Amino acid sequence: MSTLIIIDQPPYGSWEGREALDMAFSLAAFDQPVSLLFCGAGVNWLRKGQDAAEVQQKSIERNLAAAPVFGVEALLADRSACDQYGLDDAALLDHVTITDLGKELTGRFDHVAFAG
Amino acid sequence: MITLKTLHILNKPPEHSRYRLCLRAIGPGDGLLLTENGVLAVTRLSGIDSERCFALAADLEARGLSSQVSTDQTVSFDGMVDLTASAENVISW
Repeated sequence: MSTLIIIDQPPYGSWEGREALDMAFSLAAFDQPVSLLFCGAGVNWLRKGQDAAEVQQKSIERNLAAAPVFGVEALLADRSACDQYGLDDAALLDHVTITDLGKELTGRFDHVAFAG
Repeated sequence: MITLKTLHILNKPPEHSRYRLCLRAIGPGDGLLLTENGVLAVTRLSGIDSERCFALAADLEARGLSSQVSTDQTVSFDGMVDLTASAENVISW
């Protein structure tokens, strides 16, 4: 039963995205195949050089870096959203695959869920 | 210190409906202060008269966007207070 979790909320603005990350990590911990797709303002999760100390939050970059270790199969980013936010390969975190959000992509998963 | 007619404080990302409303409401002599998710606008804003457009440093840093904004358009929390004090009125979008 493969799952795709979609994060479209921007980072640090609300907690929903973090909950989705926890959900993905828990699924992976129970050996359920899970991938994450970032689209819309959610692609801003994937920008290098985040320093959230001044806003009293942990940098998301470290959590995402651990994703492969936790067994998350893929970190996917929607191409059009990356273009809108000026996120090219150099600006994106490692292990991120740029793809196109559409039925071809979502069709590959048994279960698709949004972050809140 | 520049004086502003109206300071518009925007904490909504570009996808939010109030983002577009705010940009349409900015008149001559007004200022725009981007905070929280609003700082994501710095990746797209070209048309805005940069002399009166500011972004909050802590939110830029959190999102890895500090390098995309000039220092004189980046304000600290104290700078934000000065901006609100220098404006005749303030709208928080």
